[in-house]
Amino acid sequence: MSARRPFYFVGRAVEAMARRPSVAFVSILTIFVAAFVIGLFAAVLRGGERLLGAWAGEVHISVYLDPAADLDAARAAAQTAAPGRTVEAVSAPVALQRFRASLGAQGALLDGLRPDLLPPSVEVRAPGIALAEARSLAARLQGVPGAREVDYGNAWLERLERLLERLRWAGIGLFVALALGAAVLVANTLRLGVFARRDEIDIMRLVGATDLFVETPFLLEGLLQGLAGGVLAAGALVGICALALPGLATAGLPLARSEVLPPALIGAVVGGGAALGLLASALAVGRELGRRAR
Amino acid sequence: MIQLFHVHKQYPGEAPALLDVSLGIEKGEFVFLTGPSGAGKSTLMRLVFCAEVATSGQLLVFGRNVAKVKPSQVPYLRRSIGVVFQDFKLLPDRTVAENVAFPLEVRGLAPREVKRKVSAILGSVGLDLKAGKFPLSLSGGEQQRVAVARALVGDPALLLADEPTGNLDPERTLEVMDLLHAANARGTTVLVATHDRTLLERYKKRVVALERGRVMTDGAEIRRAGFA
Repeated sequence: MSARRPFYFVGRAVEAMARRPSVAFVSILTIFVAAFVIGLFAAVLRGGERLLGAWAGEVHISVYLDPAADLDAARAAAQTAAPGRTVEAVSAPVALQRFRASLGAQGALLDGLRPDLLPPSVEVRAPGIALAEARSLAARLQGVPGAREVDYGNAWLERLERLLERLRWAGIGLFVALALGAAVLVANTLRLGVFARRDEIDIMRLVGATDLFVETPFLLEGLLQGLAGGVLAAGALVGICALALPGLATAGLPLARSEVLPPALIGAVVGGGAALGLLASALAVGRELGRRAR
Repeated sequence: MIQLFHVHKQYPGEAPALLDVSLGIEKGEFVFLTGPSGAGKSTLMRLVFCAEVATSGQLLVFGRNVAKVKPSQVPYLRRSIGVVFQDFKLLPDRTVAENVAFPLEVRGLAPREVKRKVSAILGSVGLDLKAGKFPLSLSGGEQQRVAVARALVGDPALLLADEPTGNLDPERTLEVMDLLHAANARGTTVLVATHDRTLLERYKKRVVALERGRVMTDGAEIRRAGFA
């Protein structure tokens, strides 16, 4: 292939789209819808994960201490282990007092019990903390002098993590199904374009064109249409974020655009659109050439 | 140039299209292939052009056994063959010059070279002033001249014409036949499928007559025998 060929093929692809703008428009629209739906789904899933993670992060970690432990030293160590977090030392009598208060009218049941019945503890509040971070902080707090047990609501967090994991898998499954469905849909749309040019294909083969020569402009056409559809989808997603995020923040769901639609996802939508166009056109032209073998 | 040895071609569920056809066409020959509709003329053309493969027998084109040519090599074989059809097979949304340029673009020639060759061939078929027109704005005879120009622009060693004058009036028929004749005079081997007996009478060339897939007669004597 000579150095001129790439320009020749790009020229042919652009020329073909200009000759049949309606077919190109339908293809771009189909890829746009497919890339937009998949991108929107990914963004919503990301946003949901971030919100769930943040809610899960309202973590209250209790470090239960030996009765003889030095409460001030434990508090200082906990503060070092959890910089920037609110750390409170709770002595045994205060713990019992709080327990009694939590029982309300039935607090009288605790009358007569020793004031050191409950162990002293250090309480760490960690709002907005992610699951993995909570686990790591709990591990660090194990090192507090006199620590006997660290409780960070494991059961609740583990359940939530399992739920998120299931959601992630469901998301991947849905993503694959959507991508396959979109590829078939786009391939059928692009086949219309290939079918409209079957005479051209016949004549190209008549005059000695190789399959590669016949296919390349179609593949480039698919790639360019996919790129256009992907860019439009990414633009639409950015627009929707700009419109929706302030409203969500007002409703108590604070999300930054970089959290739901990071540059990597924008790139994936554009690249995915291009790949979808390329794959679909390869399917479409491959089927047509296969049908016209020799 | 072309050699057929006991070539047989059968389509599923149909009578044989070619039956035990043996034939040789030398380099530089001008041969008419004649016979009634369904005689096997177009099938023979399609075999030579590698659009189909024979059911049995051997077909050699340019000394190569067509059945053994790999599919990836077929396009390169076709570049040595020009083809003209009764229905012209021109792209209506491309200009005359663009239609004629196709075989040269396929070969990867430089745009300047393509332009030069297209201009020259259109001049030789008398269509240099119609280069920018679209095929549907031309007469049938002009469209067929464009098709002949496209077939000849790559200087093929072999020119196949399947009923090239079937859609033309007598005057336009002679114009197109003269172009094929001129190409033959320049050294191109020409094989024309036709059932127009006036052409056989006018151009004193070898005639191969097919009927129901068999070669009935082969040679100049066919005219004397009044077969055509």
